[in-house]
Amino acid sequence: MMKMDFRSVLSEYGNALVLLLLCLGISLVTIEEQSATSSSAARELAMEVSAENPPGSNVLVLVRTGEGASRFAKALSESLSAEGLQVVESIVGTPADARKALESQKDELAAIVTGEHMAVFASGQLPALASANDALARTKTYRTETYLWPNFLKKDNLFNVLKQVSVVAIIAIGMTLVIITAGIDLSVGSLIAFSGVVCALAIQYLGGSEPTTSHLWLGSLAGILICALIGMGTGGLVTVFRIPAFIVTLGVMFIAKGLAFILSNSEPIPVGNEGFAWLGRGSDLFGLPNSVSLMILLFVLAHVVMSRTSIGRYVYAVGGNPEAARLSGVPVKWVLVFVYALCGLLAGLGGVMEASLHVTGDPKSGTLVELQVIAAVVVGGTSLAGGRGKIFGTLVGALIIGVIRNGMNLTGVEAHMQSVVYGVVILIAVMVDQLKGRFK
Amino acid sequence: MKNRILTVFVTVATFCLFGCGGDSESKGVIAYTPQTLSNPFFSVIADNIREEARKNGYEVLVVDPDMDVKKQSDQIDDFIAKNVVAIVLVPVDRMSIGPAVKEANAAGIPVFTVDAKCAAEGAKIEGHVGTDNFQGGELAGQAMIQALGVEGGKVLVLDLKKANSCVLRVDGFKKVINAHNDGRASGRIEIVSELDGNGDRTKGYESTSAALQAHEDLAAIFAINDPSALGAYTAVKEANRQNQIKIIGFDGMPDGKQAIKNGQIYADPIQHPDKMGIQIVELVVKYQAGEEFPKETLLPATLYTKAEADQDPDLK
Repeated sequence: MMKMDFRSVLSEYGNALVLLLLCLGISLVTIEEQSATSSSAARELAMEVSAENPPGSNVLVLVRTGEGASRFAKALSESLSAEGLQVVESIVGTPADARKALESQKDELAAIVTGEHMAVFASGQLPALASANDALARTKTYRTETYLWPNFLKKDNLFNVLKQVSVVAIIAIGMTLVIITAGIDLSVGSLIAFSGVVCALAIQYLGGSEPTTSHLWLGSLAGILICALIGMGTGGLVTVFRIPAFIVTLGVMFIAKGLAFILSNSEPIPVGNEGFAWLGRGSDLFGLPNSVSLMILLFVLAHVVMSRTSIGRYVYAVGGNPEAARLSGVPVKWVLVFVYALCGLLAGLGGVMEASLHVTGDPKSGTLVELQVIAAVVVGGTSLAGGRGKIFGTLVGALIIGVIRNGMNLTGVEAHMQSVVYGVVILIAVMVDQLKGRFK
Repeated sequence: MKNRILTVFVTVATFCLFGCGGDSESKGVIAYTPQTLSNPFFSVIADNIREEARKNGYEVLVVDPDMDVKKQSDQIDDFIAKNVVAIVLVPVDRMSIGPAVKEANAAGIPVFTVDAKCAAEGAKIEGHVGTDNFQGGELAGQAMIQALGVEGGKVLVLDLKKANSCVLRVDGFKKVINAHNDGRASGRIEIVSELDGNGDRTKGYESTSAALQAHEDLAAIFAINDPSALGAYTAVKEANRQNQIKIIGFDGMPDGKQAIKNGQIYADPIQHPDKMGIQIVELVVKYQAGEEFPKETLLPATLYTKAEADQDPDLK
């Protein structure tokens, strides 16, 4: 009895379990010393410095440039002053800036107070600098406490995972619908390139070398809509001529890829407005990257459509048994055209997102992405035979792919090994999913 | 069952943890993302970066973007999250990689380039180490003069216009050839055709086949890299003219060197990826010490002929 329960839980949430195990494993192998940069860490460090140095001693604050660096330097200076120490200088800069500042110290310096990277600089360079400058003869280096924490679980890194997987995940929504109707769409990778090139060309055509924000919007819209139209055409060929989707989309894949290279003259097309990076690199809502906010919004929307509306029920019905669906009044052909058009539209959106990431329309982008998208859908538990599949399963599938890639980048696992791991995880996830059929 | 799997997993992970980490003496991580590690040129750079970095107390992280600029850009984002001390980059695309480099700039992580440059506006590169391609082209020109001797003859150039480095190679080549021809009535070396070799075997083969049809008396070929030179050789051999036509390549990849030893290619100006790897780490070390260093270092190419190939212990 217990055994059956365990298995049903496993089959329902098997993919999520695989994801969780992956996260756990990668967290374990990416544990590293981290340097605290909070203001409380700054206060603690200031207390440590003041305990070992008489009030009024000269101290120098040294922090490497970067996000949050000036805030941390300011917190350090304030805490040190509050402890009665004399902050002679507070430097946020490169090692070269630090060297210059230390060389120019005239009065005796008691301490250098620093963060992670500058501590390496200070301990490495201080002996040589001190022999050239008497003011540094008795200088000691103080650095913030370190603590152990996985690089994988750092906020910035988790955002990276979500950001990197957003294009695949968003297209996978469309692919889920297509696969639920027992179809397939191999053209999405090429549509990414095509959409990106069309978008960049349209922006160039409208705005020249200095396009405005409205030109950016129009160009993006052009890229997305043209891909939606192509998807619609695909759906038309599948329904009217009854050509298998595999073949139609294979043809579209070659056509779109070729056109992307022809239109762009095989060269990446730059977009002359940095504002274009807003979608791919900006982060506005609660610090979430914009591409991630968009991904979450689209998944919630797709979930509602698939579970609460008649369109969703039609899609499942067409995939389960098209003949029965037709007899019960489902407009089968229109449903098919709709899912392919949607898949094309989302691929177009993905293309615009990729172009935005590099502020360039690149005909080489999107290569083999269709396989990642299909993998995400299948790992997410959607059946290639049609009729069965869940939107959030697809999100989990996409995240599994993203987490593996990120983990490999953090640990430097060789690229060909990555490919092996992908393959193994896809097979495991699908095997876990098969348990569903067997033990229900 | 599941529990056992979990136990094994955690054990393995823990081993990894103590295997890879725990080195508190390290000065930090230097991260390297080339164009592709399938090309031995970039893996030789990687090996030398590893070795030189270890001598200087740094760890090294090597990843493979596999010629995909999206992957390379994601890798740079991951390096930033990992808070590495420096990024060494061979841009897959000199423009599209710009936004990612700018993010590293904003995070205060210095970016260095090897071999290929980053040309994106506003992307700050601290230092570059590459090959002096113009000088390499001059070497190729000198080798060509030597190969053709007093008689001179007609030459085909297989170029790759979209790569700036390869354009420089052809420029250097032409400079030497033109100087050679100046005021010379007989024994001139005449560039009769410049075709796209696309830097690969297939296109190198196709273009050469076409040129062989057009020029009955072709005497030599200069190809801007080894793959297109080897493609050219296939075409020449097919036309059974390998005794009349001399080929000069570029790079000194293992199969290019082998072809020189076998007498299929006359000579190669070769690059020195090993030195590139060592020098780029030297730049990183100087940067971290706050010392001054040149923004750009161009390493001279050297000529590699059958004499060198016969001495080369790496060849069969």
